[in-house]
Amino acid sequence: MKNSRSQPGILKPFPMQGIWSGTVSFSLVAIPVQLVKAVKPGRISFRLLHSKDYSLLKRRMFCPEEKVMVPPEEIVRGYEIAPGQYIPVTDEELESLAPEQSRTIEIVEFIDMQEIDPVYFDHCYYLVPAKGGEKAYRLLAEAMRRTHKAGLAKFVLREREYLVAIKSTEGALALITLHYREEILPYENISPKETTIDAEEESRIIKSIKNMMADFNPGKYADKRREQIMALLNQKAKEKTRVEAPEGEEEEGEGPADLVAALEESMRKMKREQ
Amino acid sequence: MAGGTIWTGYIHFRETNVPVKLHPAVKENRIQFHLLHRRDKVRLLQQMICATHEKVPVPTEEQAKGFELEEGKYLLVDPAELEAAEPERSRLIEVHEFVQTAQIDPIYLDRVYYLEPDTLVKEYNALAGAMQKMEVAGICTWAIRKRAYLGALQARGKLLRLNTLRYADEVVAVKSLDLPKFSFSEKELELGSELINRLSVPFQPEKFANEHQKKLQNLLDQKARGEIIAIRRPRLLRPTAPDKLVEALEASLKKVA
Amino acid sequence: MSKKIVEISGRRLSLSNLEKDLYPSYGFTKAQILEYYRRMARFILPHLQDRALTMKRYPEGVDEEFFFEKRCPAHRPAWVETAELSLDDGEGMTVCLVNDLTTLMWVANLASLELHVPLARADSPETPDAVVFDLDPGEPANILDCARVALILRDLLSPLGLAAYVKTSGKKGLHVYVPLNRQDPTFEDTKKFSKAVAGTLQKNYPEFVTAKMAKEYRHGKVFINWSQNDPSHTMVCVYSLRALEKPTVSFPLAWRELEDLAGQGIPEKLQIIHSEAVSRAEKQGDLFREVLEKKQKLPHL
Repeated sequence: MKNSRSQPGILKPFPMQGIWSGTVSFSLVAIPVQLVKAVKPGRISFRLLHSKDYSLLKRRMFCPEEKVMVPPEEIVRGYEIAPGQYIPVTDEELESLAPEQSRTIEIVEFIDMQEIDPVYFDHCYYLVPAKGGEKAYRLLAEAMRRTHKAGLAKFVLREREYLVAIKSTEGALALITLHYREEILPYENISPKETTIDAEEESRIIKSIKNMMADFNPGKYADKRREQIMALLNQKAKEKTRVEAPEGEEEEGEGPADLVAALEESMRKMKREQ
Repeated sequence: MAGGTIWTGYIHFRETNVPVKLHPAVKENRIQFHLLHRRDKVRLLQQMICATHEKVPVPTEEQAKGFELEEGKYLLVDPAELEAAEPERSRLIEVHEFVQTAQIDPIYLDRVYYLEPDTLVKEYNALAGAMQKMEVAGICTWAIRKRAYLGALQARGKLLRLNTLRYADEVVAVKSLDLPKFSFSEKELELGSELINRLSVPFQPEKFANEHQKKLQNLLDQKARGEIIAIRRPRLLRPTAPDKLVEALEASLKKVA
Repeated sequence: MSKKIVEISGRRLSLSNLEKDLYPSYGFTKAQILEYYRRMARFILPHLQDRALTMKRYPEGVDEEFFFEKRCPAHRPAWVETAELSLDDGEGMTVCLVNDLTTLMWVANLASLELHVPLARADSPETPDAVVFDLDPGEPANILDCARVALILRDLLSPLGLAAYVKTSGKKGLHVYVPLNRQDPTFEDTKKFSKAVAGTLQKNYPEFVTAKMAKEYRHGKVFINWSQNDPSHTMVCVYSLRALEKPTVSFPLAWRELEDLAGQGIPEKLQIIHSEAVSRAEKQGDLFREVLEKKQKLPHL
């Protein structure tokens, strides 16, 4: 069944902007969407630069046989079946394993987000509506917000089948991939065997907790970390010039005093004997 | 059996000190794919190229690490120097504050580790009990092998867990998605909510198994034998037109009744 | 290219591309590489035993691209022993353990010319069995300068009650190992110790020793890479081949021999090639055996 409207990205599974495009459906409602990243490397991590001109470096794939950079259209995914032997598997072949699930995220049931143990969460994405689906998208987001529910679905992206939760967040739909039950490790053997609780200890801790309450503010933690790194780097920049200064310079972090003393003693003995 | 101990540390705040052992909580089981050159099926290697001089691969000697001060301006860093400068990493999982667990949006949650009590089991239990009663999570920081982590300490049943958090500037803001505003009627919203409630069930993860993996393995075996794979084209769903939304919702409700 | 199926200890192993010359300037085929490892098996296996293997694969030979492989390939035969490692991000990874001849042959057949292993065993990844001093010469310093530093290191550690053992890296440098083989040391301990030792040597011999990794400090000096004492770092295993133009080997040397060779002043003499490695090992046995067996305690920690 072909679409009555030609929509960019609907016929090709992997459009330029997003990771995937298809349809989110629940019962008889179908919403065309694109899957995009919700997590990207932050300003806190170090980036790789070209030492010649300090431009940012990008990752590219390189063919060791032909010694050329390989553009995305010449890349195929494959599996190593024997040493150095790879079988390519095309997107169409992968899609054929589960044709409908490769193009449609069918929400079969809704659940309360609070019921999902955080251990199940894996990766995060956003769904953005494709042309024509904006209204239904907004409606689903708002209805899920009102009812405090999230949709549960299975869908296939490339070679993997994911169990996902779709939840509303600030008027948008976020898609969170979940681990399968069989991938969650049991914890019985590391759970405390002794279960008695010292009531006094517990109430002392509750007091401490009450004194340390705050609102969850992720921006605050990011800023703090940035400040720490900046302070460290500034310190390093200062020290660099200090190191060039003449002797009398204390080497930072020589090591535990006892050990260093023993080593120096051993050194002195050695030099005497030479 | 839980996974082996990754690291040992101790939870610390005020006078509370609870030694713990970190264990992984998840063990993924997947078929590993590699990237190949379509022409000759050779496994591709990753190389770094210069963004301005696109085609030129940059060898390791010409690569430098930079920390972004502001847009486009970087401070060059020699990571070995930075490592040498950092103070001895302690084993502390320092809790800085507590927040209501319900306030933490799942989009910030990354990986979970189980925490096994090391010694001082009574203290461990008291902490777990207190946090469970108050329904709070402890925002904390720690470092394993020179990598710093931000996380949320949580109690779940008798067990304490460490959940790493994503930093705010690693999460794409909803605002940046530029979603168009669209309005709908109260009726549409009611129908939608009703449908969701009718389709609601308790969360039972054991219902879902990874069936796809077996199919994939069969496909790989077929290909290894040189068999041609029959291509099945998926049926694409026709998107629900905005003016047909009420109709679709009402029909759905009839269906699930 | 040829394919051959062999049977070793009741296991079938498929060997491929046996005539492929992986050291084209020198002339050393896959078959010869397999033969090298077969003859060296009884010397190298104890040093690989129960350690997470990192392969360095050169499928097209030493002049072409290589890749590291830590994950045990999914197509491995059922008899290859593995272990589960937990990565820092909580995920698990299956690694190969080379615990027998057949697995060693299988690994060599994958063109993993170099075999790298961590200082700890897979079942106790936080417990190093030895302290390592990785001596790396910065040009124009060479292996002879490393030898000088290695001898000073030996004499510095001896009054502390610590015996050390040296091997060539098979490339430009030397590796000095101080066996511990105890349950208590952590990588924090060994890193602290090796850093302090490196610092002492740098302080006392600043003209030719450095403990700093930054390139500007290493010109003309021997860099003591103490940061190798880390659970996530690997060292090339003793008796492993190296992927240089010639198939040299990371080979252990007796201290007396190191003194003689350092005195002779010919750096090439410190490069042991595959044939020499085989004949020497078969005659002398495993000179690195004590690194696996000797129990020593780090002082003052």
